[in-house]
Amino acid sequence: MALLQEVTSTFLRRFKAPPASLHRKWASHCRHASTGAVAQETDELEQSSFLQGEGPAQQAIERFDPAGVAKRRNRRLPPSRYQFRSPRYYRGPLHPHQPPRPSEPSSREFAPGPFSLPRLEQTYHDTLASDYMVLAYAHLPPGQAAFKKGERLRRWEGDSPYFKNRPLRGPRGGDTLRLLRKPVTFRNVPQLQRVTVHTMSSDAINSGAALHVSGMVLQAITNVRAEAHEVKKSVAGFGVRAGMYLSLTCELKGEDMYHFLSKLVDVVMPKMKDWPGVKGSSGDFSGNIALGLKAEEVALFPEVEVNYDMYPPKLIPGCHIMIHTTATTDQDARLLLTQIGIPFFGKLVS
Amino acid sequence: MNAGQKSARRIAASNGPITRDTVCVSCLHRLTQPSRRPASTAAALADPPSTPTQQPGHPNPPVSTAKSPRKAYQLLASPVLSRPPLLTRDLTSFEKAYYLYQKRLNERLALPFTRYFYYKKGTPGDVEWKRKIKVRKTPARDIGIYAAYGDEGWNDEVLVGDPTAERESVVEALVRDAEGKAIIDEEVVGDAEKEGLGAAGDAKTGEGQRRDLTKVEVERPVDRVTEADKANDLRSLSRKMDRTLYLLVKNREGRWRFPQDRVYGRENLHQAVERILVQGFGIDMNTWIVGNHPIGHHQMKYTSGGAPAPRLAKISPNRLVSTSRDRVEYEQEEYGEKVFFMKGRMMTGQADIAKNEYGDSEFRWLVKEEVEQAVTGGYWKSVKDMLAER
Repeated sequence: MALLQEVTSTFLRRFKAPPASLHRKWASHCRHASTGAVAQETDELEQSSFLQGEGPAQQAIERFDPAGVAKRRNRRLPPSRYQFRSPRYYRGPLHPHQPPRPSEPSSREFAPGPFSLPRLEQTYHDTLASDYMVLAYAHLPPGQAAFKKGERLRRWEGDSPYFKNRPLRGPRGGDTLRLLRKPVTFRNVPQLQRVTVHTMSSDAINSGAALHVSGMVLQAITNVRAEAHEVKKSVAGFGVRAGMYLSLTCELKGEDMYHFLSKLVDVVMPKMKDWPGVKGSSGDFSGNIALGLKAEEVALFPEVEVNYDMYPPKLIPGCHIMIHTTATTDQDARLLLTQIGIPFFGKLVS
Repeated sequence: MNAGQKSARRIAASNGPITRDTVCVSCLHRLTQPSRRPASTAAALADPPSTPTQQPGHPNPPVSTAKSPRKAYQLLASPVLSRPPLLTRDLTSFEKAYYLYQKRLNERLALPFTRYFYYKKGTPGDVEWKRKIKVRKTPARDIGIYAAYGDEGWNDEVLVGDPTAERESVVEALVRDAEGKAIIDEEVVGDAEKEGLGAAGDAKTGEGQRRDLTKVEVERPVDRVTEADKANDLRSLSRKMDRTLYLLVKNREGRWRFPQDRVYGRENLHQAVERILVQGFGIDMNTWIVGNHPIGHHQMKYTSGGAPAPRLAKISPNRLVSTSRDRVEYEQEEYGEKVFFMKGRMMTGQADIAKNEYGDSEFRWLVKEEVEQAVTGGYWKSVKDMLAER
């Protein structure tokens, strides 16, 4: 064989008679999965003994009814059959009771995993990422040397002999270095990383209920339990003391993030009255863009709109939404968000 | 980014004499202007231009005294117009099973549904909710009948072949819920008190029984397999909604290609491609050309029996390119063609082959595999890496 080829079931079928393999048995039982679709999926799998096994007998499959067996059982099983709690503490690798992986449903740290393949994520990978790559490409004609930027940390220039090994100076205009921008390639296309939704209620200074309502609203729109934060320093002017819980944040990653942004762009933003868009100067020079929603705009989320009357009047909070991307400059982040559907207005500051 | 003077000079110098045949017209114009250059750089040039030097400060390109036409490659631009996928892809059987299982586990681990936060006590919505939850046993609408907190909470896995995870069942469950029906129709048994109508196992027959006074009309989601799919209409934009469709045309030679045409005058590729779409398919297409640089190229040399067979081409000005009218029809000896592909996205509209000015007879919107079947081998090799898998 001149080329290496994956050992798939389609490949092996060319050389030997196909056994009564497992996938055909499954396919015949799946009334709703057409034989063609299931066979196509298993064709792409690597060949393994698991697929070649005989599988259970037809009679055993028909008789399989765990719920029925449990119902018909008269006696009570020993307690160990009904209870299982994974060990609370890790007692070393040699202990007989090992805690399961966090991805195991029986683990104490198990968090139920993705429930869907978000539409925005699919759109990004199929459409937006390739368009971004084309837009961000910078052509270097053959024979032309790449533009050489000045030093990031500047040397001391002058006659003094003490300049030679002196620590280098920072950039002009301040000591903070901006992030390096790497060229955008197929491995390096800016992506959405996480979204932080934050709200602070000054009503919570006097009433605890205000913070609870804010927490419920945030939980409803983001599907994530909000975290409360205490005030670090007392400021008499605002009437605020250190240790008071006044603000909440929700960190959204993965599926929750994509669903939240889809709702924001497709449902909430079109309904916002006289909204020009996100400010063009928004951005922290590192590829993260923030926008704010007023209380009446937060009420446009479908999860809040459905039981709007249940919330006490005027206690639905506004919020800040910070969208963190893997872009390293504001222009890159803005281009990505424009592709997703967020409009910008005013002068674009980077 | 522009190729600077230095690079053009360097390239031209390394490839031999700077003639009208080796360097493009604008570079030639820039390179053969001795009045603007100081004497030192004039001496640095490797090969002096062999065309007759023009008058200093003369704005027009040098007129060739040679009788033979310019030797070049035919420069073509070609839009790769695509309609991106409008629907999400179908889930694999593993994904469906996995998501269903994770949703059921979530029901077991999440806090119980707070009914009175969403439905006020005694309202019709509350009554409807209670009726539905009795059958469904879980607040989630897309995981079938499953009691997470009951005695049978341990039985969260479905058997092989169970239709609960399939899209049709989920849609059916959601539509029934919107119509106000329970997830499954309960068996109606005879009941002496209620004139023969009653639900099995329901002690208070009649309470919560929905009477069909007003039938709620719920809009069902449209079928993912459209009529264009069933009819296999290759010209329709509604076919294969979960895939990317590419626009191909059958040119006058009978070959299926992406639409292409010469680049005229001083237009750039972006402008050329926009013009080609209008001249090829009419004005009724709302398109967007992505970026200013090509995403691929294809090269073909004209040969007959292995030897180069140049063709004489007469280039007349194009009515839509104003800079092409600077020169009247001129001739060019072409040794092959170089096509540069530009990425385009289709938003709305449709192609109209009746408005075609290139002699193309047909157009089709095809997915990647169909493009492979339609085009020739060499062309496919140049084109395949530009096309999206989905």
